[in-house]
Amino acid sequence: MPTSKPRENTKQPARGTLPSPKASDDHLRFLPWLFLAPALLIYTVIVVYPMIYSSYLSLFRWDGISPKKVFVGLQNYLTLITQNEVFWIALKNNAVWLVAALLLPTSIGLGFALLLNSKFRGSHIFRSIFYFPAVLSLAVVGLIWTWIYHPDLGLLNQALTASGLPGWRRNWLSDPQIALYPVIIAATWNAVGLPMLLFLAGLQTVPEELLEAAKIDGAGPIRRFVHVTFPLLRETTLIVLAITAINALKAYDIVYAMTNGGPANRTQLLSTWMYFLTYNYNTVGQGTAIAVILFLITLVFAVPYIRFMTRKA
Amino acid sequence: MNPTLEKTTVPPGKSLKAVLFYAALLVTALIWFAPVITLVLTALKDAGDFAVNGAFSLPKSIRWSNFSEAWETGVQNYFWNSVIVTSIKVPVGIVLESLAAFALTHMHFKWADRIFTYILIGLIVPIQMTLVPLTLLMNALNLIDTLTGLTILYIGFGVPFGVLVMRGFFRTIPIAIIEAARLDGASWFRIFYRIALPLALPAVISLSILDGVATWNEFILAQIFLRSDELRTLPLGLVQFSTQFSTQYDQLAAAVLISVAPIVLLFLFFQRYFITGMRGAVK
Repeated sequence: MPTSKPRENTKQPARGTLPSPKASDDHLRFLPWLFLAPALLIYTVIVVYPMIYSSYLSLFRWDGISPKKVFVGLQNYLTLITQNEVFWIALKNNAVWLVAALLLPTSIGLGFALLLNSKFRGSHIFRSIFYFPAVLSLAVVGLIWTWIYHPDLGLLNQALTASGLPGWRRNWLSDPQIALYPVIIAATWNAVGLPMLLFLAGLQTVPEELLEAAKIDGAGPIRRFVHVTFPLLRETTLIVLAITAINALKAYDIVYAMTNGGPANRTQLLSTWMYFLTYNYNTVGQGTAIAVILFLITLVFAVPYIRFMTRKA
Repeated sequence: MNPTLEKTTVPPGKSLKAVLFYAALLVTALIWFAPVITLVLTALKDAGDFAVNGAFSLPKSIRWSNFSEAWETGVQNYFWNSVIVTSIKVPVGIVLESLAAFALTHMHFKWADRIFTYILIGLIVPIQMTLVPLTLLMNALNLIDTLTGLTILYIGFGVPFGVLVMRGFFRTIPIAIIEAARLDGASWFRIFYRIALPLALPAVISLSILDGVATWNEFILAQIFLRSDELRTLPLGLVQFSTQFSTQYDQLAAAVLISVAPIVLLFLFFQRYFITGMRGAVK
């Protein structure tokens, strides 16, 4: 139900006007808590408490095993910033990934949505084809694209040779200069589906009469898009950008499946480097510090998003 | 001019435009779907054929035994583990999430907005923020390397999205229906499971599907909290399988196809629920 947004529940009528069918209305004040308790309890224990505890652990030097944690203040953050080269590679990679995620899946998703918005024969088949990669796990996407990038047998290099461009062949995933980009392309393939669906939903709210009127006034398809359709998609676009940014910063599985951070740490992201520091090098303090930094970066995009989701009528 | 086009709904004057439109669409779709086509072709040919003729050629002879061999080599284990975790996580999660979402929408609860915001934080938390404390917690509870432990984690992480989707739907139930039931003396719990939940059935189906797919596909928690091979779920098992049998592309491709088969079936039969569920999450 994309257009109707009943808002009657966010603001209830004043208490006195509500029907109070039972005399014992007082116990009802606890009842919502009872409904909420199971979900809130497990969510708090599994998600919220660990978040807070991670922030706390990021202030200690600790190997994860010994009983002794040494309080070091912000030292872990300083060490990362001043001495950890891979941290900077990962940060830069996250930035590249983020920019790519804001540009590619969103614009391709919008393009597919515009293509599919006109009802034509077979449109639902094409919608399935374009959406399909989005239902695959990132591990599977990573495996499939690893074959595509295979230096000898992979589809990409074979296609390049077949189209007379053998000079463009690369060892896509083992060339440290470029390895990040093929991974991003694979992630994009998976990330297009959601923006496409959201834009399709948004396009259906654009009134046909407006487009007709613009057409009568002599506006071509491009001008109709720029001056009519796109302004009406503003809200959808903002949601799409926020969600893709948040998802981009969560990227992990696909890097693990395709390159595991290599070659020479060139495809590390903050998320994968956090894993290395914590579970391979046992520097738990630095690992959790990276997680906190990643969270703070996410907040830049998440705060407006959450504001929007909890907006009042 | 093109005989096949006369059967379509396109008016004759527009047929050239239509041909171009369909041609462009077909080429785009083919490029977009090439990875999937490659995957299927690879799963159907033997490794020698793959090595000689590459990924995108038709198989010399179809080799169905790739599937049975992959299944025997361990995929069946991963598959059943994923089935167990998903089939417990999804229903349990939905019960918790709808109870909470109902309290947040219809029970005149003055903390509703604040609690909802608190729950939404979970949507944006990078999972890395939770890993170390969860490792300690799971260790203390002896739940490392158990499917039970993993399922509990999935239920916890599923709460924000589930509450978001269910709340979105419960908000569309007219308040008059709920109040009428109140006046008839129905308890809140009765209203929840006799009125609200049945009305929300489309949302429950959407959420089950989205949640089922997400659980089926989850990687990082499984990677950290499952240690022994026989407990691995599919995504983890496949990545493991790929490092162990890195040259057996044929079997690996078959294994990947087995792992996505349930999702493809869901997708084909319940496609509209994918879409309504996703839209529900942003409304």
